[in-house]
Amino acid sequence: MDRARRQLTRTTIFLILALLVVIMLFPFVFMALVSFRSYQQYLSGSGFSLDSWKVLFDVLPVIQELLNSTIVTLGAVAIILAVSATGGFAFAKLGYPGSAVVLLLLLSGMMVPVQSIVIPEYVNISQLGLINQFQGAIIVYAALGAPFATYLMTTYFRGVSTDLIEASLIDGASYWQVFTRIMLPLATPALVTVAVLQFIQIWDDFLIGFLFLQTPEVRTITVGLATLQSSRMVNIPALMAGSLVSALPAIVVYLIFQRHLVRGLTMGMGK
Amino acid sequence: MSASKRPERRGQLARARRRAGIVFSLPVIFLVAGFLAIPILQTFYYSFTRWNGMTSTWVGTDNYRQLFADSTFWQVVSNNAILLASIPLAILIPLIVAFLLNEHVAGWRFFRSVYFLPTAISWVVIGMVAIRFFASEGLLNSTLQTVGLGGIHTDLLSKESTAIIAVIITFIWSVFGTNTIIFITGMATLDREVYEAARVDGAGAWSTLFYITIPMLMRFIQFAFILTVITAFTALFSLIYIMTQGGPGFATTTLEFFVYNKGFKTGVFGLAAAIGVVLFAVVFVVWIAQFRIFRDRAD
Repeated sequence: MDRARRQLTRTTIFLILALLVVIMLFPFVFMALVSFRSYQQYLSGSGFSLDSWKVLFDVLPVIQELLNSTIVTLGAVAIILAVSATGGFAFAKLGYPGSAVVLLLLLSGMMVPVQSIVIPEYVNISQLGLINQFQGAIIVYAALGAPFATYLMTTYFRGVSTDLIEASLIDGASYWQVFTRIMLPLATPALVTVAVLQFIQIWDDFLIGFLFLQTPEVRTITVGLATLQSSRMVNIPALMAGSLVSALPAIVVYLIFQRHLVRGLTMGMGK
Repeated sequence: MSASKRPERRGQLARARRRAGIVFSLPVIFLVAGFLAIPILQTFYYSFTRWNGMTSTWVGTDNYRQLFADSTFWQVVSNNAILLASIPLAILIPLIVAFLLNEHVAGWRFFRSVYFLPTAISWVVIGMVAIRFFASEGLLNSTLQTVGLGGIHTDLLSKESTAIIAVIITFIWSVFGTNTIIFITGMATLDREVYEAARVDGAGAWSTLFYITIPMLMRFIQFAFILTVITAFTALFSLIYIMTQGGPGFATTTLEFFVYNKGFKTGVFGLAAAIGVVLFAVVFVVWIAQFRIFRDRAD
């Protein structure tokens, strides 16, 4: 009797969780199904075709924008990895007078909302002549991502044995050699976590791309998609095709590196 | 090496280490100072000026006075308050689901991955689908009709009183997975023996959840709460831009959207900077609250 009741409970739980899967997957299924309908088929609710994909590629320079997104995202991620790895090593293992205060100030950068800095940032970047240049957006993304990345890297390097560093130094290695030959290989899991978190964040961002990369030649895919929407385009299937294209790279990264994302989250909790 | 030389050598080593520390930390310091620290200081400074991006004139606290006298500003603040009020739901639903997931029924790993999937999706894409979902002829209404509730015809996005509800539902949907993962992680750290003891004592599922799991997860709940508040206040710009453009009227304009509205749409940069300062102050208070909570817990 008790066993039957327990079975019933577990079945109920399974059904609730499965229902939630339907709710969470709805947008993805919706995007995929609708994008393979022409506008007429969408309105009538039957039939499939590639028409809307053709429309999408006609109205949006999809390949160019995907390429732009890739350049901006990879550029910013590379800078974030470089500065957070060197910085994390320094703050965790090479403390100097005042380094704790410097670290605290750097980490407090996590508290700064983008919107609170975006106007002077825009003015500064335009004075540097970097509006509508990839470099401008890349440096802004890198600065926004650096504090959290430095936090993760510092936390990670604190867990690495100091004896290892000292032994190599005694053997005559320079700090740079210690960093590249010992610290970096050891930190690979943390570097992957940082890269994945930042990749998804920057790929998916709208605001910085929207303000700093305005001309069609440098526009990112996320911004391109948003401009389609605000141009009052009524072809919903084409919009859904665009949504799917813009989301796909980040989804692929998510599916491959899911565990790293979870780790980033839990490391953020200080665990 | 003679004994007399040793302290000197140690001093040299320490100096080399300090020098390396400074050199290695300089890149991140320059990056963050130049593109984060200076801009936030500029925001503070320019919030006391009339500024068009080129020239600025010092006007003292005029921008703040103008802001606090503006009824739109208070509507915007109340929108933030409404977002804040919705956060218990964004915590409670994931908490219950994490509790259910923790029963490890068939397929629970798959469920967990699916719930976390929105983490990878941009707010723009989420917004694009959400508009179609909430539209008058959208899926919400056709679903209501299918289940025999056709009498309830909704058009949340087009009405001032309800547009923010659509934004909030979308927001809760988006953060659901992240918070569920946080709670699942927390539950994995709990001692299973406590559960066994509770079961032996005849505690039901609900009393286990409310009297054992939730109190023991307090640290994780606080973390999720802070993260969700910060997301709600500083990361929803794109969602709002796509779903409602802050409207109808100012019904879905939050502080962060108001900065954009006053700055880039209206061009009053000084006033926009003042709003940016208010937003920063709000977020700052939330963070400080977190540090205090964590410190108290640590004691």
